[in-house]
Amino acid sequence: MDVYLDNAATAPILPEVREAVVRSLDIYGNPSSLHAKGVEAERLLSEARRAILTCLGRPRARIVFTGGGTEANNLAIFGVVRRYHNRGRHLVTTRIEHPSVLEAYRALEREGWRVTYVAPQPDGHVRVEDVLDAVTADTVLVSVMHVNNETGAVADVGEIGRRLRDFPKTLFHVDGIQAFGKLPNGLADVPVDLYTISGHKLGAPKGVGALVMREGLEIHPLLYGGGQEYGLRSGTENLLGIVALAESATAAYRDIEHDFAEAHRKRALLVERLQQIPGAVVHAPPVVSPYIVSVSFPGLKGEVLVHALEAEGVYVSTGSACSTKGGHSKASHVLEAMGCAPEMVTGTLRLSFARWTPASALEAAAEVVDRQVRWLYSVARKGGTSR
Amino acid sequence: MIRQVIARYGELSLKGKNRHQFEERLVGNMRRVVADVPGVRIARQNGRVLITLDDAPVDVVISRLKNVFGIVSLSPVEVTGLALEEMVQAALRVRGEEARRLGLSAAERSFKVEAKRVNKRYPLTSMEVASEVGGQLLAAETGWTVDVHHPAVTVFVEVRDEEALVYGVKVPALGGLPVGTSGRVGLLLSGGIDSPVAGWLALKRGVELDAIHFHSFPFTSQRALDKVETLAQTLANWGGRVRLHTVHFTDVQTEIRKHCPENLTITVMRRMMMRISERIAEQNALLALVTGESLGQVASQTLESLRVINAVTRLPVLRPLIAEDKVSIIRLARQIGTYETSILPYEDCCTIFVPKQPRTKPGLAETERAEQDLDVERLVSEAVARTETKVFSRRSPVG
Repeated sequence: MDVYLDNAATAPILPEVREAVVRSLDIYGNPSSLHAKGVEAERLLSEARRAILTCLGRPRARIVFTGGGTEANNLAIFGVVRRYHNRGRHLVTTRIEHPSVLEAYRALEREGWRVTYVAPQPDGHVRVEDVLDAVTADTVLVSVMHVNNETGAVADVGEIGRRLRDFPKTLFHVDGIQAFGKLPNGLADVPVDLYTISGHKLGAPKGVGALVMREGLEIHPLLYGGGQEYGLRSGTENLLGIVALAESATAAYRDIEHDFAEAHRKRALLVERLQQIPGAVVHAPPVVSPYIVSVSFPGLKGEVLVHALEAEGVYVSTGSACSTKGGHSKASHVLEAMGCAPEMVTGTLRLSFARWTPASALEAAAEVVDRQVRWLYSVARKGGTSR
Repeated sequence: MIRQVIARYGELSLKGKNRHQFEERLVGNMRRVVADVPGVRIARQNGRVLITLDDAPVDVVISRLKNVFGIVSLSPVEVTGLALEEMVQAALRVRGEEARRLGLSAAERSFKVEAKRVNKRYPLTSMEVASEVGGQLLAAETGWTVDVHHPAVTVFVEVRDEEALVYGVKVPALGGLPVGTSGRVGLLLSGGIDSPVAGWLALKRGVELDAIHFHSFPFTSQRALDKVETLAQTLANWGGRVRLHTVHFTDVQTEIRKHCPENLTITVMRRMMMRISERIAEQNALLALVTGESLGQVASQTLESLRVINAVTRLPVLRPLIAEDKVSIIRLARQIGTYETSILPYEDCCTIFVPKQPRTKPGLAETERAEQDLDVERLVSEAVARTETKVFSRRSPVG
């Protein structure tokens, strides 16, 4: 049995994505070339652009394809700061962002920017008021993650965006990597200026992502060169990756409301089953992505649990795949920010499934978790006779 | 032109009747490390090995061969006829080459000639050869002075029956004995710094290595095992071939934790490792075990611990690092190329098995009592039955 529950780290290539890529393999032209080969490639690129913007419900927005989510986050943050540094010296983000946002802000802090890192509630969610309270007339950019990659907590970015209209000089960036293709409604009611998405969480290959930008917004590029992607991301376009990204998005949004409701149903089953395991503490943000479950087993090591589960074909993460360095997990900054005790932090697993994961697989996986957790607790607790 | 290299071996010549066998093995090992370099011929010749290079680059060949256990030193040589004039011409070239190699300034150019006469029928004595060649070298080129005590360059001339060898440098090599001349041993290989070094030192004394690794999945990860396999590969690059036996050790660990007093778990664990290793040794005709233990380094390496751990086996347990300090072990680990792998951090999730206060001076009787509830025989045979073996062969040159 193989149950892959690490879809928030990366997902397998979807069959329809594979087919779309294979269909496009021989369209080798450079979209910037003047001749027919270039035109053919450019057409594919425009179709991909249109498809993704349609999914998001923002047909007039601009989309800049990048080499992945990390690059798109960096482009958003540095692009805004370099362009609008005259507007102020203050930035706002949260303590639970992905490192590709957090480290970018830390770098700016070293350059002399003041950064407010908004703390989450103990249940993992970031309150709208807390973000707004941090914003001043001097604030150039606010970055808030849509769905947290470790806990699944959903921030009300729509409300934050609306309230930020009171600060016309402050731009709003949302890291939507774990929300894109997962939460319904797209960006129709979410007034963001910049929105980051990534392909490989949805069944496209690694190495392609995008920054979605409000129409008319100008920022500075990170990479200079041939001026592709509205001058914001020079370099010949990764056409196959972009086709795959568009295809994975189209597939994700085809039936997204139904999939979303189903996922909630499956998540509830999984959570209920996990709660029967002795010691289990399921983290429960008030609004949560149905695809992510964070559960702690205080006293166990998440890393050992991961290996114990993989021995039975169940693949999960500790906090997040990104918080492992050289194959070892380091303490999760997200759980720490939530105020979790160290014992809780080290014993945390993240189970993340996809819309195609059947409920039966989740149940089978929960059985394995149950068995391995009980075994590990028995090993960990069984002291020697002389104790 | 340098088209020949000689390799000297020391201890081998002492080995009496086995000498032939040792030399054969050495030449075989040498051929293997330069097998991918075309145009190298290697042959035994009067108590040393002569390497003839057709087009092969001399630097590459020497850098490979100096890492073959059993060779004491190497010299690129010019082979000439026995006419004095030929020796002088070769000596001139050698002296010039050495001056270039050492980057000597004009003021530093001092030399001497050392001669040796194996061919006792040669009309000149060693002293006469040296002074003849030296005199002509001095006259041949201005700017050089003779300094018999501290010369910058020494030109060696060796007069043999049919030829003379002229050379200027002796490249030191590792010494030791050729791998394959001392039998086969079992190395207890962890992912740490010490055990690969112990294995390397054993290779240096001519043994062939089987490595035995204890894997405790899920308490240690697949990456930890990959690391041990990388270490086994590095040792194979030195020794030619290493068989790695990976023992499934999880059940032993958990049973020890269940049934033994916590402060003795490490001692009991090491004893179980010894028992399992002894069984693997029997199955694979290994004559001894090798460990990376160094006296007093950690709790399980006090004399008391070593005695209690050693008591379960009758095989000799070789501990090449027993008297080494950590810094010198690390230095050696860097030299042999295992250090960077050893310090990768993949094994500390075993910490649940590490007691808070291990006994540093366990007694034999108390340890035996601690094992009372442990089904030693069953655990050993099950672990041995679940052992997997993988063979590593030399893949890339070392050093």
